[in-house]
Amino acid sequence: MDTRRRKEGMAMRQLNMVQALNEALDIILNTDPYSLLLGEDIGRDGGVFRVTDGLLQKYGKERVIDTPLNELGIVGTAIGMAAYGLRPIAEIQFQDFIFPAFDQIVNQAAKIRYRSGGKFNAPVIIRAPYGGGIKGGLYHSQSGESYFVHTPGLYVLTPSNPYDAKGLLLAAHKLNDPVIFLEPKRLYRSIKSDVPEGEYTIPVGKAKKLREGDKITIITYGSMVPTVLNVVDKNNLDADVMDLITLLPMDLDSIISSVKKTGRVVIVHEAPRTLGVGAEISALISERAIEYLYAPIFRVTGFDTPFPYANEEHYLPDEDRILKYVRKSLEY
Amino acid sequence: MGSNGGGTLKFLNRFDENELLNAYRVAVYSRTLDDRIINAQRQGIIGFHTPSAGHEIPQVAMGMLLEKDDIVINYYRDLTLLLFRGVPVENLLDHFLANSEDFSHGRNMPDHYNFREYGFYSVQSPVAMHLPFAVGAAYAKVMKKENGIVLSNTGDGGTSTGDFHAALNFASVWKMPIMFVIENNGYAISLPTSEQTKAPIEKKGEAYGIPGISFDGNDIFSALEGFIKAFEYVRTQRSPILVEARIYRMGPHSTSDDPKKYRKDEIVPGSSDDPLVKFKEKLKSLGILNEEFDNEIKKWATEDIERKLEERMKIPPPSKETIIYDVYENPTWIQEEERREWL
Repeated sequence: MDTRRRKEGMAMRQLNMVQALNEALDIILNTDPYSLLLGEDIGRDGGVFRVTDGLLQKYGKERVIDTPLNELGIVGTAIGMAAYGLRPIAEIQFQDFIFPAFDQIVNQAAKIRYRSGGKFNAPVIIRAPYGGGIKGGLYHSQSGESYFVHTPGLYVLTPSNPYDAKGLLLAAHKLNDPVIFLEPKRLYRSIKSDVPEGEYTIPVGKAKKLREGDKITIITYGSMVPTVLNVVDKNNLDADVMDLITLLPMDLDSIISSVKKTGRVVIVHEAPRTLGVGAEISALISERAIEYLYAPIFRVTGFDTPFPYANEEHYLPDEDRILKYVRKSLEY
Repeated sequence: MGSNGGGTLKFLNRFDENELLNAYRVAVYSRTLDDRIINAQRQGIIGFHTPSAGHEIPQVAMGMLLEKDDIVINYYRDLTLLLFRGVPVENLLDHFLANSEDFSHGRNMPDHYNFREYGFYSVQSPVAMHLPFAVGAAYAKVMKKENGIVLSNTGDGGTSTGDFHAALNFASVWKMPIMFVIENNGYAISLPTSEQTKAPIEKKGEAYGIPGISFDGNDIFSALEGFIKAFEYVRTQRSPILVEARIYRMGPHSTSDDPKKYRKDEIVPGSSDDPLVKFKEKLKSLGILNEEFDNEIKKWATEDIERKLEERMKIPPPSKETIIYDVYENPTWIQEEERREWL
């Protein structure tokens, strides 16, 4: 069912990602009587990042639930709600705190449909702000997407701008399987984009090409997208820039067709390098397009260390580091 | 099932003779099936089993008090309750055999049941993980204004988990109509309950603002009396309760376990302490059952199971393509590619 509506006639406003996500949640709560939100401090406080601001007042505490401080309880109960006909959207305050719920996500949500032969499914969305750049230190900065990308049965989504954030969350709500929805908190308020009023969706499983070029393919997602675009624009690089948006299942066709055109690949993400999403992309390209490559596939990533507080700007891949590897690839 | 007509509710003002006899028949059938599955495992016909011997009495008691709209979020040692709520033995055998008629295409180890049509959830292995889930199921019931309550059971080992804590706390804070039943059979694999916890299990509810109740689950009338109170509380108060049924696991944890390594059997199956034997003696003393009828029940159970097992064993295994389905609503390119290349 195509839920997209005509964008013509929809008023456009400049919104930040927090506002865009808030609007998506508002639309879901308003149109789906079985939808509800649960999480820590999401009601009275509107969420520590204010993504759920005003929704308690509008929809009441039965549908915007301030939960006790227990992630396994939040996710575990949300899965039960989902399996019995509700459409819960759980917020984990910081992705760093999701691990007590890991068992529930991996062993319950991701396996319900399979082990019950399709008698049960768990259409639950688990929203979690992730990534660094807000001086959050070890426990308010992690990028744990790989843990979830490694789990069949989950969708893993991450937007990189307000427009995508709203449309992607609305698309996630239409899925009948569990979704890990990772929100790059560094971009929550740092960028604004045109966001239409009302409902529209961003296709799940499709990457977006943000720049079109012939010499190199730069693959990235989430919080690194604006940084990569800066590098490309400031240096007039002739590059394809791919924003993955969906990390599981990845848009293989778009990746491969771009690589076959350019023959050079740099992958950029904040998460540590070892077994990061870049490792999988690199393997997929090697299996399917190695004969098209003029240079090794390079990964520009966070370091394989815990996330440091004072030195976070050195931990996060910056424009210099990205440019260095782009040049290395181009000159190879 | 028994009828309630004609003022025959002689027992606990609730049940007539037929209902008690039916409960006994289900308990006997369950024990007989349990024994046959253990043998089948030794014969190499079935891969694994977590026997329910010793759990029959509280499970028939729950079965007698559950209503159609109630959901049971069960665990892997609830064979008797499945039978009581009407799961056909053919379906159970298909599940144990993991054949192509099994609802989940033979994906699960035995005892990880999937009988939604009979008011059950799907069973996972990680202990007590379904308890927070059960609270969410109750929330859905309340929000959708559906009738009935949620019952969720697990073993004594489950009370040590974080899931148990989360579930009781959320159920209490949200005031959910849910009954947590701890089937305390004395052991979590090898660990006796005395080393699992130093607090009486029924007391654990208090810390969450939930009442607790504990009773001898080896005696049918004590189990029924306890469950009548517990069900009445949840149904009328629409609030959670914690129930401990004290029983004894008469078999191993599973067919992979040898209890001789860590304990002496305190209750030997078939002895006068066996709760099933005690149930029989009780019914005999009440004039509801005699030895002849008891033998008939056991003969019927044995023959019925044997005949059905033989019949279900003819069903072929699931096709290998079923590996890739039900991961998502529709397979992604990843599963499709794996199917094309390997299956």
